[in-house]
Parts: sequence; C-alpha cells; structure tokens
Amino acid sequence: MTIPREVEADDATLIERSLNEPELFAVLFDRHAPLLHRYAARRLGAGEAEDVVADTFLAAFQHRGDYDRGRSDARPWLYGIASNLIGKRRRTEQSLYRAYIRSGVHPAETPGRQVEDGLNTLAVNRPLARALLRLKPDDRSVLLLVAWAELSYQEVADALAIPPGTVASRLNRARNQIRQALGQGE
Amino acid sequence: MDPLSSMWETVPPATPDDLAGARRRLLEGMRTRRRRVVTVPRLLVVAGVVTAAVVTPLIAGTGTSAYAVIERPDGTIAVTVNELRDPEGLAAELAAVGVKADITFLEPRTRCAVPRFESVDGAYGGPPLSKEELMRETRRWRSVKATRPISVREIGILPEHIGPDETLVLEFRDNQNADVPWTMGAWLARSGTPVHPCDRVPA
Repeated sequence: MTIPREVEADDATLIERSLNEPELFAVLFDRHAPLLHRYAARRLGAGEAEDVVADTFLAAFQHRGDYDRGRSDARPWLYGIASNLIGKRRRTEQSLYRAYIRSGVHPAETPGRQVEDGLNTLAVNRPLARALLRLKPDDRSVLLLVAWAELSYQEVADALAIPPGTVASRLNRARNQIRQALGQGE
Repeated sequence: MDPLSSMWETVPPATPDDLAGARRRLLEGMRTRRRRVVTVPRLLVVAGVVTAAVVTPLIAGTGTSAYAVIERPDGTIAVTVNELRDPEGLAAELAAVGVKADITFLEPRTRCAVPRFESVDGAYGGPPLSKEELMRETRRWRSVKATRPISVREIGILPEHIGPDETLVLEFRDNQNADVPWTMGAWLARSGTPVHPCDRVPA
C-alpha cells in the first residue's frame, strides 16, 4: 500500500527540528503569533501585547528542549507562558478594564459599529469589565483562556500546569461571578 | 455565543506589520542564544561568510507575485508561494536553478491518487507507521531532508539531499486559511523513473 506521508510538521515536529535548525522556530511564530497577540491585546492593549508575544516566543525558544513532543499542538504551552507574562502586568490589565468602564472604548478594538450596536454592547461589556476586574487573577486566567483563547479544560490544565479539577472549580467560580454581574445589570 | 466570548471580539488578529517588531526580537534573541566564544579561526570563517554574502546577489532567480525562487549564498533555494497558480512556471524556475521538480497545486480537501511515482524512501509508500516510528524514520528519509519550512509561505530546498536525476515532487494543497495558506507534501522520486500526472481525488 502506498502512503504519501505529508510530513508537514505539526508543532511538536517543528519544535523538535528547531533543536538542530533553530530558524524553524520562526514558523511556529508565524503560525500562532497573530491570535496570541489578539488574546493579549484584549487583556492588555496592543502595545503591551507585542511585548508579551515577543517575550513568550523568546522564552519558548529558550525552553524548547523541554517541550513534551507528545503534544502536537503547541498552543497550550504558548498560552501558558503568555498567561504568566500577563499575570506580571496585572496593573496594566486592571487599568485597561477601569479605562473601559469610564470611557466605553477598548484601545485595541476596531471602530465602526453602529451607534445602536455600540450602546447595546456597552450595556453588556461594562458590567463584564467590572466583573473581570474583581475576579481573582488565577480565576480570570482560566476563564479567559476558555472564553477568548478557546482552549479546552484539558488544554487550560496543561497551559497552567494545574489539575483539570482545579480548572473546573476556578471556571465555575468565575462564571458565577460573571453571571451575577450581568444579572445585576450594573 | 455567550456575552464574555463576544466581548471585544472586534479586536483583530495581529497583521504581519503589527508583529514585525516581535518577530525581529525573536530572531535577534535566537541569534544571541547561539553566539559562542569567538576564537580566531571561527572569526575568520565568519568573516569569510560575510564577504560571500556581500558579493553574492541575494536574488539569483526571478518570479511572479504568485511565487518566487531565490538562490541563497549557502546553496539552499528559498521558494515563496503566495498563490497556488502556474505550477509549470514554478517548476521551470526551479529547473533554472538546477532542481528537477514536479509541482502540483491542489484544491481544498483533494489529493493526488497514489501511486504517482516510485519514491527513494518510505516517506511515500511502505506500511503504516506509529507516530513514534514516523518520528524516528523521518530523521533518515532524504525526502524529508530535501525540504524544510521557513515560514508559512516559504520553504527551503536543500539540493545536497537530492541525487542526480531524482525528481522533487511537491504537492501544495489550498488550506483555506489566510494565516496558513497551504499545506505541502514533499517527496523524492527515484532517478530515471517517471512521475505521473496528478489524478485528483477527495482527500
């Protein structure tokens, strides 16, 4: 039987090959940096997001020898590193939420919505921003990795090196707070 | 969609321009990590390479906007594929730099019916392999060594892994994803054996 194997490099293969051919690591950057930047920009704004992306990939490059090659998708690994870096910028993140609550403008958002849309969005997003501001940092990380980075429970557990049960309890706590905030219509 | 998932969803994914600074920092960091103590002989070698880079034209080939073929000073050939059109033109450009290639551009979710050719190694043909076996074997196959990804739109061809009169068979498939526009299969067909035209079938 003829099997044409497309060895076109899942993330694990790329990372392994980058041990001997370091320049291949740039392919991993091209593949994941656009959405990682978007995730960081939602939490910190575009300027800080660029730093987070650069520092994430530099740290990943340094530690690529430790990468678990059984994991073909490197997103949990990269988002885990990024989460740590974002955690060190807690004040910037809190400032962004506070500024949004005051002004109704997110610095990285593309303008151009209808006014009516914008008002409806604000009515939901303001209480959400207040709720995010009040969450414990660890709970917020879990919640946003699921909601904005679209990682599964297991992927979040891998990203943050915590048991899946801890992911579930943090997520549950955070979602309750979010629901309460929306229910109160602050 | 729940309200939190759609919150600030109009924040767009970063463009290559947005990421240029971060990418440059990564590349500089990668070079810094590789820097070693420079002894006199190593310094001489480095100086020689720099001189060669200066006097050798970086772009030895030409190309349309759909693709570009660049012969690098180190002997590798960089192929950028921006659009999946004119496969014969790309094959001709590769022939001009000494690489005998058979190029196919495939629509999404299609592949070429097999077998099209006789491969030099197990990358095309042979029994199914486990993931571990595949990882081990790929280190030996010249089909794998002959090309390597450089970016999501660019591959490098390493002619030293291609034997006389062997054909580099490249099948690019439209990935329907602006960030990763295509996926590619790359194999080497045995010297003196034919590569049959691609008969497109569902993947």
